[in-house]
Amino acid sequence: MRRSVLLALATLALSACGSKAEDPVEQIVVRKPGESAAAASTPVADDLLAKGKAAFAACSSCHAVVPGAAAGIGPNLHGVVGRKAGSLAGFAYSEAMTKSGITWSEAELNAFLANPAGKVPGTAMAAGRVADAERRTAVVAYLASLKN
Amino acid sequence: MNDMSKLPRSRAAKWTRRGFIGAGVLAGGALLIGVGVRPGNPVGELGPKVASGEGEQLINSWLKIDADNVVTAIVPHCEMGQGAHSVLAQMLADELDADWSLVKVMQAPTDGSYVVTDTIRMFVAAGTTDAPDWLEPTWNGLFTKIGRLADGLITGGSSSIRTTGQHTMRIAGAAARQMLVGAAAKEWGVPASEIVTANSMLSHKASGKSAPYAQFAAAAAEQDMPQTPKLKAPGDYRLMGTDAPRTDIPAKVNGTAQFGIDTKISGQTMTYAAVRRVPVPGTRVAKMDASAAKAMPGVLQILNLGDFIAVVADSYWQAQQALNGITAEYTAAESKIRSSTDQSAAFAAALDKAGDVGGEEVIGKGKVAEAMQVAAKKLSAEYQAPYLAHAPLEPMNATVWVRDGKCEIWTGTQVPLFARSAAAKALGLSKDDVTVHHPIMGGGFGRRLETDYVIQAVRIGQATGYPVKMIWSREEDTQKGLFRPADMSRFSGGLDAKGRLVAYNNVFTQRHDPQEACDCAFYDIPHKSIRVAEAELHLPFAAFRSVDHSQQAFFIESFIDEAAHAAGRDPLEFRLAMLGGSPRHKAVLEKAAAMANWGAKPAAGRGRGIALTESFGSIVAEVVEVDMTSGKPRVTNVWCAADPGFAMNPDGFRNQMEGGIVFGLTAALHGEISLKDGAVEQSNFHDYQLMRMNECPAIAVEIINGNHEKLGGAGEPGLPPAAPALANAIFAANGKRIRALPIAKQFA
Amino acid sequence: MVKFTINGQPASVEADPAMPILWVVREQLGLTGTKFGCGMALCGACTVHLDGQPVRSCSTPIAEAEGKAITTIEGVAGPEGELSKVQQAWISEQVPQCGYCQSGQIMAATALLRDNPSPSDADIDAAMAGNICRCGTYVRIRRAIKVAAGLEPAKGAAQTGEQAA
Repeated sequence: MRRSVLLALATLALSACGSKAEDPVEQIVVRKPGESAAAASTPVADDLLAKGKAAFAACSSCHAVVPGAAAGIGPNLHGVVGRKAGSLAGFAYSEAMTKSGITWSEAELNAFLANPAGKVPGTAMAAGRVADAERRTAVVAYLASLKN
Repeated sequence: MNDMSKLPRSRAAKWTRRGFIGAGVLAGGALLIGVGVRPGNPVGELGPKVASGEGEQLINSWLKIDADNVVTAIVPHCEMGQGAHSVLAQMLADELDADWSLVKVMQAPTDGSYVVTDTIRMFVAAGTTDAPDWLEPTWNGLFTKIGRLADGLITGGSSSIRTTGQHTMRIAGAAARQMLVGAAAKEWGVPASEIVTANSMLSHKASGKSAPYAQFAAAAAEQDMPQTPKLKAPGDYRLMGTDAPRTDIPAKVNGTAQFGIDTKISGQTMTYAAVRRVPVPGTRVAKMDASAAKAMPGVLQILNLGDFIAVVADSYWQAQQALNGITAEYTAAESKIRSSTDQSAAFAAALDKAGDVGGEEVIGKGKVAEAMQVAAKKLSAEYQAPYLAHAPLEPMNATVWVRDGKCEIWTGTQVPLFARSAAAKALGLSKDDVTVHHPIMGGGFGRRLETDYVIQAVRIGQATGYPVKMIWSREEDTQKGLFRPADMSRFSGGLDAKGRLVAYNNVFTQRHDPQEACDCAFYDIPHKSIRVAEAELHLPFAAFRSVDHSQQAFFIESFIDEAAHAAGRDPLEFRLAMLGGSPRHKAVLEKAAAMANWGAKPAAGRGRGIALTESFGSIVAEVVEVDMTSGKPRVTNVWCAADPGFAMNPDGFRNQMEGGIVFGLTAALHGEISLKDGAVEQSNFHDYQLMRMNECPAIAVEIINGNHEKLGGAGEPGLPPAAPALANAIFAANGKRIRALPIAKQFA
Repeated sequence: MVKFTINGQPASVEADPAMPILWVVREQLGLTGTKFGCGMALCGACTVHLDGQPVRSCSTPIAEAEGKAITTIEGVAGPEGELSKVQQAWISEQVPQCGYCQSGQIMAATALLRDNPSPSDADIDAAMAGNICRCGTYVRIRRAIKVAAGLEPAKGAAQTGEQAA
């Protein structure tokens, strides 16, 4: 037993000889803390897209919107408008969604968000109904803006 | 306590086997008495680090008494939910005869004086004494961490009570009590033997005198130091062995408990960092495109640190949003293991190569090959367990402030001194220039024995120069940390004509615990060969709650169950027949069976399984009942009997058993970290599922105090039997033998 | 500018309206009892009440709180710090281990008992299944909810040393 302890201590001594960690490969300084910056100003609240983006935060726990980002619980929604429902490669849609025959337009999205299970019975999107029409319109406008 | 620079030197200094005791008097009216369980008087240097108010008497390195008669126990171990803070204070308070309602707990500062393995070092450094019996399981529990003895402020291996509690806190309490008694005897002019202590009061019946401890705290300094304070016998325990309520719970129900992630630095603007480590271990960031991210709101800095990218922003959420907008390319990985299938193949190849006799022998006993040849019946089985993430609910985080050649760190860690060294090394600073504060942890489970996240944070902090709180996302925590290793194990066994297991041959691929976990030494099996054939692991290793027991118990106790069925014997009877030489194990197994009413037939569609393990000095048996009527396993009940030697706080011990069982069942049912393209596939709690309320069975725990001189741990021993007991229960219910974890997906 | 009340006090913050309530509460208002666990409404550590309804603050934008009342764990006790029945039961049953999830557990249990003063085991499972406890204190949470509901006697905040003398 004592042998193993001594070995371990020797290992420690060796590991302590390493050099200090490397400096950053790249460092982009935007500004200092506390400094205000134009880029950091809050979006205008009455802008429809901003409203939609804000409302979408609730959706973002399941849906990514950055191009190419991995799917979460729901599919990536970048470029969703114009896409055939259930068509994103690599995402396990419900059978109901792949067979829905929908091609997402703003109107189709609006109808779906108003009542997901009504529009596509059997959809796996259990949460996500946006009951408020104004919010729904804003979310759809935001989704429509997500394209290359 | 004002002028700490004028501390006089200690007035007594003498090494003893039990510990070192010394004292000092503070200039300026305050007073210190030092009792240190280590060479050298610690009080002088420590005074300023543990002082918090006027009128406090630091009685020794481990306790203070203030003017209101409040005793503060200074506890060196870290609190991650296991209850060590409270129970160590309970042990000290008992020896001190303190009033539990007047006891507070303080986390000892991150200082070499509070190295908890000093007692261990005392034996090792002396070189003349073999480690005593009580240390054996501690060695095993600390396994890989022993190399860190030099920074041995470690909380792990289910060791706090049986090492620091038994050999430091109790001594400190007893010594202080004796000194207080001595002081009162002198003042009152009565024999010390006639003074009674209870509830933080001194009293003398004949003279009718009584006083609170606080009144004599100062005079106690003039007392001779008790070199070997007398400890209580179990019959005299007043707090030890009782359900003294945990001191940390009130703050955990009203939102005031401060975890590492809650750190605020007063007077400073806080900034926050989100990080993304390379997805495949050993690779590097080849190219980073942050053009979109740097225009995002709140962003202060974007860093490519080679093996990870960090965004520092005004808010953590902004930092994470910006990080999500950064695209990167990575260098190619060297490891050929790209998938879980590759990992399994690497294990299988190592075991194939080892065959029936190869690999490194861990246990060899009798003549396995011969015994196997003459066996009346033979059986063999291969088992597998996947990688697991620890997933403490508080994600890895650290707050750092690197400035002027100094570094200050606030982080939840099980190894604060090692974190200090690691940070110093990363920054090229001396250890003395690094200060580590370690608040309570939102779960540790072995993950916080590692310092990778602390190093990340100080590297960010070094680049910014201002305070930064780095927080890992759950995705980062699930995918980019260190893992409970996957493992594979093969067994062959031989039964004699009477159905006894006489030959036992086992080889497996992962060993991080020296010996204890891979052997079921308590079973009387005459011929045994246990070997390890190491195989490459793609993901980095970290000790996981119960370490190797977390896989080995599943392997071993499943195989024992298979042997029982092969012998046509009841699994309980089969085990009991092998426990002739292990009366404590036998008593524990019988107790669990009795709790479950083992002999009674369970309802239709249900099955019961049993398993017995010893880990970290505690013997635990569990019976699991599973309902398979829906076609999927639903665990309805767990009956657990445990012998930790002596449970210092039975309710706290039960809580740890309950938690260990849920942890073990979680891993057995759901736990799996799988690989795809060399990276971890799971990312958050939707695909790395943890047991929830609706799945949690009823759990009954009973304690056997089998040997008060040989204490076992609490934090880990509840876990190991859970998986095999469940797997054995499923076999009993429907005849399906589980040979690989996790279980739930096999019934999806 | 978003205006709301926090634990009964009026508050207004300058924040991106999309920023989750969690980070506004923790970083801007300094109330750190509400915890970050997963960021995806999967673990419940961040549970707060929004106009009395339990919501996952990590996934609810602060814009949602406009004109509403947010209650966090710091607002569960009475004005003089007197603990609620749920909090008292959490102590008497010695529920917490690490404690990190318990703010969320208490917020969920508080809402459950307000809407359903005598919950069955199935009711408790349904209401609490969204809150993960990695330490595995579910057995005690279940019992504490029943104690708070008056369905079971408190085990008592355990014994102190005095009785053992």
